[in-house]
Amino acid sequence: MVKELRQDLIRWFLLATLAFMLIGGKLALAAQSPEQIGAMLKAMRDPAGSPFFPVAMQILQVLTWALHMVFVWTSVGGLLYAIYGLTRKDENHKRLARAMIELSKVSVSLAIVLGVAPLLFYQVIYDPLWYTSANLSASWYIMFIVFLLIGYYLLWFAYFSRKKDSLATLFSIGSVIFLILVGFIIHVVNYQSLFPEKWVEWYTSGGTTMNHSGLNIYSFNILRFVSLLIFPSIAVTGVFMMLYSWYFGKRKDFEGDKEYIAFTSRLGAKLALYAGALWIVTHILYILTIPSDWNAKGSIFTILSIVGLLICAGIIFMAQKNPIQMAIPSLLGGVVATLTIAIFREYLRVASTARFGYSIYDYKVNLEWLSPALFLGTTLTGLLLYAYTWWMAYRAGSTPKGEVYHANEVESSLGNAAVFVVILWAVVFILTGFIIVIRNYA
Amino acid sequence: MDVLGLYPMWYVPTIGSAIVIGIIASIHVMASHVSVGASILLAYLATKAYKENQPQIYDYIKRYLLTLLVFSYVSGSISGPGIWFSATVANPRGISALIHNFVWVWAAEWIWFVAEVTLVYILFYTLGRIDQKSWLKLAWIFAVGSWATMYIIVGILSFMLSPGHEKWFTTGNILDAFYNKNYFPHLLMRSSYMLAFAGVMGLGIAHLMKKGISEKVYKDIVRTMSYWGIAGVIFGSVFFAWYYSTLPERSHVILSGVVPTSYYVGIGLVLLAILAYFTLTSIVPNLARIYASIPLLILIFAIGVFPEEKIRESLRKPYIAGEFVWVNQIIDKDIPAKGIENEVNKINEKGFLAVNAFVPEGLKTITPENKIMAGKAVAILQCSGCHNVTGASGLRPFAKKFEGMTSEDAVYGFLANYLTPQAHPPYMPYFVGKDEELRALSAYIADMISKGGRVSAKIEVPPASYEARK
Repeated sequence: MVKELRQDLIRWFLLATLAFMLIGGKLALAAQSPEQIGAMLKAMRDPAGSPFFPVAMQILQVLTWALHMVFVWTSVGGLLYAIYGLTRKDENHKRLARAMIELSKVSVSLAIVLGVAPLLFYQVIYDPLWYTSANLSASWYIMFIVFLLIGYYLLWFAYFSRKKDSLATLFSIGSVIFLILVGFIIHVVNYQSLFPEKWVEWYTSGGTTMNHSGLNIYSFNILRFVSLLIFPSIAVTGVFMMLYSWYFGKRKDFEGDKEYIAFTSRLGAKLALYAGALWIVTHILYILTIPSDWNAKGSIFTILSIVGLLICAGIIFMAQKNPIQMAIPSLLGGVVATLTIAIFREYLRVASTARFGYSIYDYKVNLEWLSPALFLGTTLTGLLLYAYTWWMAYRAGSTPKGEVYHANEVESSLGNAAVFVVILWAVVFILTGFIIVIRNYA
Repeated sequence: MDVLGLYPMWYVPTIGSAIVIGIIASIHVMASHVSVGASILLAYLATKAYKENQPQIYDYIKRYLLTLLVFSYVSGSISGPGIWFSATVANPRGISALIHNFVWVWAAEWIWFVAEVTLVYILFYTLGRIDQKSWLKLAWIFAVGSWATMYIIVGILSFMLSPGHEKWFTTGNILDAFYNKNYFPHLLMRSSYMLAFAGVMGLGIAHLMKKGISEKVYKDIVRTMSYWGIAGVIFGSVFFAWYYSTLPERSHVILSGVVPTSYYVGIGLVLLAILAYFTLTSIVPNLARIYASIPLLILIFAIGVFPEEKIRESLRKPYIAGEFVWVNQIIDKDIPAKGIENEVNKINEKGFLAVNAFVPEGLKTITPENKIMAGKAVAILQCSGCHNVTGASGLRPFAKKFEGMTSEDAVYGFLANYLTPQAHPPYMPYFVGKDEELRALSAYIADMISKGGRVSAKIEVPPASYEARK
């Protein structure tokens, strides 16, 4: 009986995978030739061109996306665990659940602000993909903002009611539903963008109308969605729990909480391992659904993405015995996995668009150096101020409650330098403006 | 395939996609101005607390920071990308034009965003946990960093209205585009008003904390908020006058002839109400009330910021960006420095529907069978940025503009004389496309009016046209 059930499940699973492979592009009703699609894509590029080398935009996009995703994952993962933890009787679970709501709350803010950069760099070189796909499902794209707002406010309600378990659970459930919905919308827009051969057919319903309401969702891939959002969320939150134990375990006022710290680190390591394993499985299954005409399945970037995940899984496996000691190596393993996934995800765009002779590397360039210099100067200013502010936050967090941390001489000098460069930046920015305005209009 | 880089169109019947952007933008302006203004006021108060050794001021600052986190940083940090998202679907080529010129400037702003968002949390969590001097440094970094985001976005917003100078079209120099004629008045105007908005919020918070702090500290805080607020309203209005003087000529025509008077009255009244509130609380600090601050903030949003955003959007017309991309996404100017070419001639030659890949093939050649639907497609693609093209209410509705015109010839006669390069009003693009497309548009409008001025937005390609194209 059990055996039959298992066989049935495997059959249905394989059938579902096959179905997704079909959805993934082989059933395209392409009315345009590859040359026409290529011409359309090229015509859609902004006539102003890119103000800098496309490859720089591409690299920055990949790096900032990886950073953005870490906080997307801890937002969702923190909430998923909070729902579980708040409904347990064990006090350790409840306490950790409250901490995870706090993690989730800060993570959403960071995920939002860090999400700006990858989208910005991406839109410079992949404007045809993004603007088309967003407009195909425009109403959903707008609902992204509304759902995010609702989800984030529900998270704040969960935070304010965190000491009332049932209320906090309810708000956390509401919040995570909206956040996952937000993730789904962005998944759809990204996924649709990979199929330029279908856009016109989708929008015109095979030449019979114009679907300008933006209410349609044309394509999604559940394996891509869970492998990029759901399982990494749990796994990465697990690694964060290990880091949490490593960080707070050193604090004096946590000395009486050794059991809680040990519980948190063990739980984190376990979650990272099991969810990480499912992440790898769904990632491989997603790779199987990639249409064969992309020639992407055997690519070095695809293989590297699996290797990156396996390296991370190996470290986490080793971390099971002593999770606190292995917290930092696990973090590094997570960084490797995230970066290889980010590269793989970008590679898919290259592979998909290459079918139509589209390459970001031949994007028209209107090179200019002044605005990249502004970015560079601002980044250097930012690095100094981030160093100071985040270091002080780290120091404050390591100080037992009720005590005040006093900056040492080096920290104080760093603070002065940070204030100085920030003011200097503002002065240079405004003075440059004066000179230009006087030169052009006086 | 001889197409232009046009995208699938998103059409929002009645209110139009422009209002969607307007609502999101207004939320963002409210939230961001309050938070940037507050960052400066709070840094000032922290300095005062440190120098005068008044620890109770920190309690007030902490409360204000929490308010910022819950209200401004949630709605502000989401509605900021929200403007971008809505612009992406309402006017992809407009936002693309800005991004392809200012990507690095925006990226620089992002560095400040990250600083701003991380710092608001750091300030909240480290208050009382690190020494006061270090905290004060963080507070000032937060203030300057928050204000820096405004330095940057104002340049891009000003460019959207006008590069201000013909020079940019030939030099392509980003400095000429960014530091344009109305950059400084615009920056100073917003910087002033943001202090006033933050002051209104600050008075409400002071009232809520009245019982928890000494009377002296309470009065000190209320007076600080009031004085900064009064200065904000007065200087904001002075800088508005300067800003007005730097607007392009077409914007003056729009301001005097197109923008409803009620907008000006609303904005004027709300400014007077804020000024009166600040004046009263500066004289009698006990008059600060949360019940006054919240309604005032709602009024600022509803009859101050929202109309202001709508006016600002109108001032740009017929353009959406840099005086070269029309509001209907067509490029009407050569920009030699960037290699951008005017698209009008090509569209007139090939046909407006023919150059758009997302128009069904069955509508690209106009026939008696598809004429009405082709006309509707033209209306949606070329006119819906500013008009409700399928109804009688909402955004400048066609049914009212063409009231009583049930004859195709009458509509055609009007449009053919009105929407020409020579005769079009300064705030509206002229018609581009082939003559038969103007005929189709006229046929659609006449048909819509004869059906009572309200039709479905659905476009149905007649089977005959669809089959013929197949």
